[in-house]
Amino acid sequence: MNEFLLLGTRPPTSGETSPARAAHDMAAVTAWHRWLRRWGLLRAFSLPQDRAAELRACLIVWASGPAAAQRLGVGWGRVTGYQVTVLPLLDGSAGKERER
Amino acid sequence: MSEEAEAALAAIFRTEWPRLVGAALRIVGDLQTAEDIVQETLLAAVDRWPLLGVPERPGAWLLTVCRNRARNLVRDTGRAQQRTLSLRPLLAGQAPADGEVREIADDQLRLIAMCCHPLLPTDAQVALTLRMVAGLTTEEIARGFHQGAATIAQRLVRAKRTLKEHRVAFADDDPDVAGRLPSILDVIYLVFNEGYLATTGGQLTRGDLAAEGHRLACLLTELTPDQPETWALRALLSFQLSRWDTRTSADGVLLTLDAQDRSRWNRELIDDGVHALARARNGERGPLLLQAELACCHATVPAFAATDWGAILALYDELQAIQDTPVVALNRAVAVAMASGPAAALPLLDKLTGDPALRHGHRVWAVRADLHHRLGDGVAALADYARALDLVSNDVERRYLADARQRAADQYRSRA
Repeated sequence: MNEFLLLGTRPPTSGETSPARAAHDMAAVTAWHRWLRRWGLLRAFSLPQDRAAELRACLIVWASGPAAAQRLGVGWGRVTGYQVTVLPLLDGSAGKERER
Repeated sequence: MSEEAEAALAAIFRTEWPRLVGAALRIVGDLQTAEDIVQETLLAAVDRWPLLGVPERPGAWLLTVCRNRARNLVRDTGRAQQRTLSLRPLLAGQAPADGEVREIADDQLRLIAMCCHPLLPTDAQVALTLRMVAGLTTEEIARGFHQGAATIAQRLVRAKRTLKEHRVAFADDDPDVAGRLPSILDVIYLVFNEGYLATTGGQLTRGDLAAEGHRLACLLTELTPDQPETWALRALLSFQLSRWDTRTSADGVLLTLDAQDRSRWNRELIDDGVHALARARNGERGPLLLQAELACCHATVPAFAATDWGAILALYDELQAIQDTPVVALNRAVAVAMASGPAAALPLLDKLTGDPALRHGHRVWAVRADLHHRLGDGVAALADYARALDLVSNDVERRYLADARQRAADQYRSRA
């Protein structure tokens, strides 16, 4: 397993939202995060101090390889509406340690 | 997150939305900017709460984020000096003090008053209230009114521009709510009715709009507890909404009062209506109070047969004396038919079918068709049903009228 950094950014103009839509979105995002935690794939997360910054959240996730990490990125982007950038963090060493 | 949790979250966001818009507007002074800030606040919650958990006091969290964002924006645009003078010290993350609670309530009231500003046409007042106070998106409003999203978007943009051009200030000391109350009540009633008596389309009711109208009426009573008229509106809408689930059958057929299952009427809403009506009776006997009294007559009797049509007719007489409109006259004619028989009401209906405000709608013809039918005049009944069917635009009502006409036709055919 390798560590990957997922950077979620939201474009400045992301359309209108309403209370009902926000609640619905949050339910979807919460369910996705719960799934990520249940499978032990979430190593850490970080949120920017400026709540209105374009960068909205960062996740450090475990994935078997770049393709799996990309799939996680796509899933995260789908539920959050973020544009997700996926970057490899370590070259497998942390994963090996974890496997031991 | 379960559906229940999502609904609870939506309820929190709905409750907080007008508070947030009011708070942001107080700081930035511009409706569009305030709306953007509130959206940004909700998005911040969507970003953070799934990872950090829902805060213990979500409303306070949202309000703090919203105000901070608004203040940052004002500061960033170099207007801090002139604005901060009017700001009270706001402590991040702390429970609002009594004075602040009052300020939040005042802000919401100012917001409603601003959305119902006399400079704006009624349709713009309705759209702006739904967007800024109820938090509905342009698309949701458009869907509710069966209009294009671009039309509603233009209406909103024009309304905001008008308010801006006329420098309609938000944080005045006197929000002139009392002076603007009639138009505020009108707007809320219009929102409710558009949902409750959908004029076009395949559904008789559009739940979201009616629920929003009722919610706004409740909010208004919380903000102006000393205004009997707001209680009258709340009572009226609570009684009407209590029958919501029983107005159509499972297969979408319209059910009139006599055919509805009263055991399924919402008791909580009826109790709320009774309570609100008691508060409303402290004021003048205006049109809203009388309509609420009428709705109460229907909502609080256990069976259709027990309806006190004499009392209902007396209330319609009173209502007609102060609001002599064709619609009131039509409803009164129905009460006459129920209290004294169809023959007594027919002359009233004959007169009303000539009224320019009614003759192009289906209701007057549908009522007269029913009276003719009850009097055994098949030819006249079928002619009026045909006329009503030509004019009706709601699919559920069309189906009801078509069934009624068919039943009448079968009956006369079998007699012949």
